Amino acid sequence: MKAFQYATAHSFDSARELVADNGMYLAGGNDTLGLLKEYLVSPNILVNIKSLPGLDKIERGSDSWKIGALVTVAQIENDPQIAKTFPGLQQAAAEVGSQQIRNVASVGGNLAQHSRCWYFRHRDTLCMKKGGDLCYARHGENRYHSLFTGNTCISPVVSNLATAFAALDAKAIVLRDGKETPMTMAKLYQGAWENPQSHNSLKPGDLIVRVEIPTARTSSAFIQMSDKQAFDWALVSCAAAANLSGGKLNSPRVAVGCISPVPWQVEAANQFLDGKELTDDVASQAADMILKGAEPHEHNGYKIPMAHALIRRTLLKLKG
Amino acid sequence: MPSWPAETKYISKNTLRIDAPEKVTGRARYSSDIQEKGWLYGMILRSKWPAAKIKSINLDKARQMPGIKAAVLSPAIEERQKNGADLTLRFYGEEIAAVAGTSKSACIDALKAIEVDVEPNDNFVVLEDDAKAPDAPRVWADAPNVGDSKPKETGDVDSAFGECAAVIEGFYTTPVQIHNPMETHGSTTSWTDAGVTCWSSTQGITSVKNGLAGALNLDHDKVRVITDFMGGGFGAKFNPGPHTVMAAKLSQAAKAPVRLMLTRFDQALAVGNRPSSFQKIKMGATADGMLHAFEFDNYGTAGIGGGAATGGGGSGVTLPAPYPTYKVPNTRVKQASVAINAGGATAFRAPAHPPGCYGFESAMDDLAVKLGVDPVEFRIKNAVTEIHKKEFKLGAEKFGWKDKYKKPGSSAGVVKTGVGCASAAWPAGGPNNKTQGEAQINPDGSIEFRLGVQDIGTGSKTVIAIIAADLLGLTPEQITVKVGDTNYPPGPGSGGSTTTASISPTIYDICTKALTQLQTQSGIADARGKNWKAACKKLGVSPLVVHGNWIEGLSTKPAYGVQFAEVDVDTDTGLVTVKKIVAIHDCGLIVNQITTESQINGGIIMGMGYALFEERVMDDLSGVVLNPNFETYKLATMGDIPEIEVTLLNMPERGVIGIGEPATVPTAAAIGNAVANAIGVRVYSLPITPAKVLAALGKVPKANSATT
Repeated sequence: MKAFQYATAHSFDSARELVADNGMYLAGGNDTLGLLKEYLVSPNILVNIKSLPGLDKIERGSDSWKIGALVTVAQIENDPQIAKTFPGLQQAAAEVGSQQIRNVASVGGNLAQHSRCWYFRHRDTLCMKKGGDLCYARHGENRYHSLFTGNTCISPVVSNLATAFAALDAKAIVLRDGKETPMTMAKLYQGAWENPQSHNSLKPGDLIVRVEIPTARTSSAFIQMSDKQAFDWALVSCAAAANLSGGKLNSPRVAVGCISPVPWQVEAANQFLDGKELTDDVASQAADMILKGAEPHEHNGYKIPMAHALIRRTLLKLKG
Repeated sequence: MPSWPAETKYISKNTLRIDAPEKVTGRARYSSDIQEKGWLYGMILRSKWPAAKIKSINLDKARQMPGIKAAVLSPAIEERQKNGADLTLRFYGEEIAAVAGTSKSACIDALKAIEVDVEPNDNFVVLEDDAKAPDAPRVWADAPNVGDSKPKETGDVDSAFGECAAVIEGFYTTPVQIHNPMETHGSTTSWTDAGVTCWSSTQGITSVKNGLAGALNLDHDKVRVITDFMGGGFGAKFNPGPHTVMAAKLSQAAKAPVRLMLTRFDQALAVGNRPSSFQKIKMGATADGMLHAFEFDNYGTAGIGGGAATGGGGSGVTLPAPYPTYKVPNTRVKQASVAINAGGATAFRAPAHPPGCYGFESAMDDLAVKLGVDPVEFRIKNAVTEIHKKEFKLGAEKFGWKDKYKKPGSSAGVVKTGVGCASAAWPAGGPNNKTQGEAQINPDGSIEFRLGVQDIGTGSKTVIAIIAADLLGLTPEQITVKVGDTNYPPGPGSGGSTTTASISPTIYDICTKALTQLQTQSGIADARGKNWKAACKKLGVSPLVVHGNWIEGLSTKPAYGVQFAEVDVDTDTGLVTVKKIVAIHDCGLIVNQITTESQINGGIIMGMGYALFEERVMDDLSGVVLNPNFETYKLATMGDIPEIEVTLLNMPERGVIGIGEPATVPTAAAIGNAVANAIGVRVYSLPITPAKVLAALGKVPKANSATT
């Protein structure tokens, strides 16, 4: 990696000021370190944000919970109240990386992590995401890639938390130019849908400070499928959330991870599910709607039946 | 004729590794722990191109970088430059040069400062099927990519198929497997006026010594190789390799020891690997369930080590076919190695056997299903040896085969259970009969064994202590064992599952001679056990040093084994979960039960990775290895490992036989058969990923051609 300066910010203003010189924020550092070591980024300065006030708190309100950006993935995994209130979020956190990674990984970092596409991460391929003129994956080894995209790049979002947050209709609060800007998960990743060089909608200097989760949906669930049983990325993941009363779904939301640059949500499917009794057949019809128009490539067609199964199972898991 | 004692206190029992305390406390020093005074880091510059020609290369700028003490060309490039030959690069990751410096970051920066002017060659090929095409770019300009492949025939295979009651055909494929021992390849090497000392992570201290002396043009007595501890080697750590030759040259130039350990990235590119296989099999059996005809057409790649230019060889491209546990009277076997622009192959735990076993044992199951017979009975009927028949019977009983085996695909529900089995025969595993060793017996009764063998992690030191303890009437704790130094009498390389069969008879010989000499010198008739100290005391001032050799009659070969697997397959997601492996293995006289079982556990876990996860992925557009890391080159970890039940058949009358390799041979085949039994269709290709399972089940839609 290239030599860089290192500074610890104690206020949001100084953090923004410091990072302005081609800098990057540093929290858990899992993703940042990998990007630095492979020369995928070469910032002039790393701005440690772990001393910024209030970012490590979980505030449990009646209408919504606020989860600070520095809360670790392990804290979410191990918090019994989160497991009770947002079981889908707890389940998503428990599947992230390894225990060692979860211990230091932050909520903000999990959301802001960059693409895991093996062409992007490879030191000797210049793909579109890195400013090249070709999406190698589209022509080559695309087993881990997207079924949907808004541009040429087919690198998918792999953040488990983003998928779980999407189903819970949570918003990331982004500090942009000194102002708090709420972004749905759809909005947070819209940039990756549109622009092959982005992996989210964050601009230089933007900082995720917390995530706000409405408590409106009392049931939630998350399932991921990987090659390996532990310490492996999801091939496909799915999160669902709703209120269940008398066996009927109320305000349901489903999000699928790893099949699109954004947590994949289909509003028509959410509407279809609303007010329905949760049966195999209903879940299956919703899965059909969510996966309609999927564009498989040479090696990732398996994601369609896999996602179909996960959507059905995650919805049925809402019943507990 | 010598023979192993009938009654033993330690042999065939459980003795914990004598070096376990050093290992678990971190006191054990591996090659990557050596910190000689003034040592430097070494790092390698590798080709970024799958094919290219170097027009010029200049190391001067790199040498002037802060902290850099030396820079050298790779031995191959240096040689070609000297001869005025073209500086052709043939694969992504090929060594170009190396630097030594005071920190890793200094080295990384210096590698970037090396001025290499290349002419990239876009005419490269990294996929086997592409390389076979008549108009494919040639990996070696003067010879075709496909090596010579004349079919070998026995009997009359064409008419034999006509006599069969059932015939199956299948195309079974296996990927290139990358060597990933926990300790990467490398050394700390110091070249002074006195000579070269190399602390090498190697499974062959003698072969590294000889190789290094040859490459450096030094007398053998000027090179010493030390391997106190090593973190695993599975066939790719016998030779110094370009990395250790460069470490020595860097040390000479820098006048300082150089530690050059490969990175995980390096490991994926250029240390050798297990070749791929593409096995077209046609096999038939007669109505009475006897194998009758077998036709085999296989090709695979050993990277740049394959093709006609290299004699069509490549370590492990040519598979044992028919698999030697079974007999087929009429056969036609054709095999070819295909050169591609990728790192070459080398020995890999039981070279050629896991893929050979996978192809043949898969075909065995497919044929048993077609014949409508029980796969285990079918195997027993066709097995060559009585030991195999016995192992299949015992394994079936322990596994509960009769209750568990159901018609393929007949298990109810979305998650289907299946069972399968396969066999191993390891024709090597015998001894290296040039093995020597010595023991120094001191007047205080302490005793030290010195052998120029190395313990690659299998417990060889403990084997020495156990045998000496039993033969001398002592405890293993009383025995000091020194190995891993070329200053000791020469021992075997740790490969081919030969180590235990080589060193055990040697220790026997040393102990027998020691007891005879002690008797002569002390006048005590039996110096063993309680008389030991008294006898040693009579030595006076000088210790007794006894030299011994490998002797006949105490070791043999081959080893066999069978394994049974039980799996769950989720037919909605394609996920395979291995629930249980039952393994029955034999290795003659078991020296140490607990470490033998560990060997088998490790072999099964490695075989499971081969079955479900491991695969080198090449990108045909850029020519790079796409998964040079543990993120996407997937290895089994704790969560994946099933219940493993190991049963060892102890056969003292056969003598000592090695076990390291057969343990990993049948696992993938057994798992593959269990998956086929679960879902009722075969996945013809390793690794068996969810994607392939779903495809085999017909659940995967075709790619949208407009987008690919």
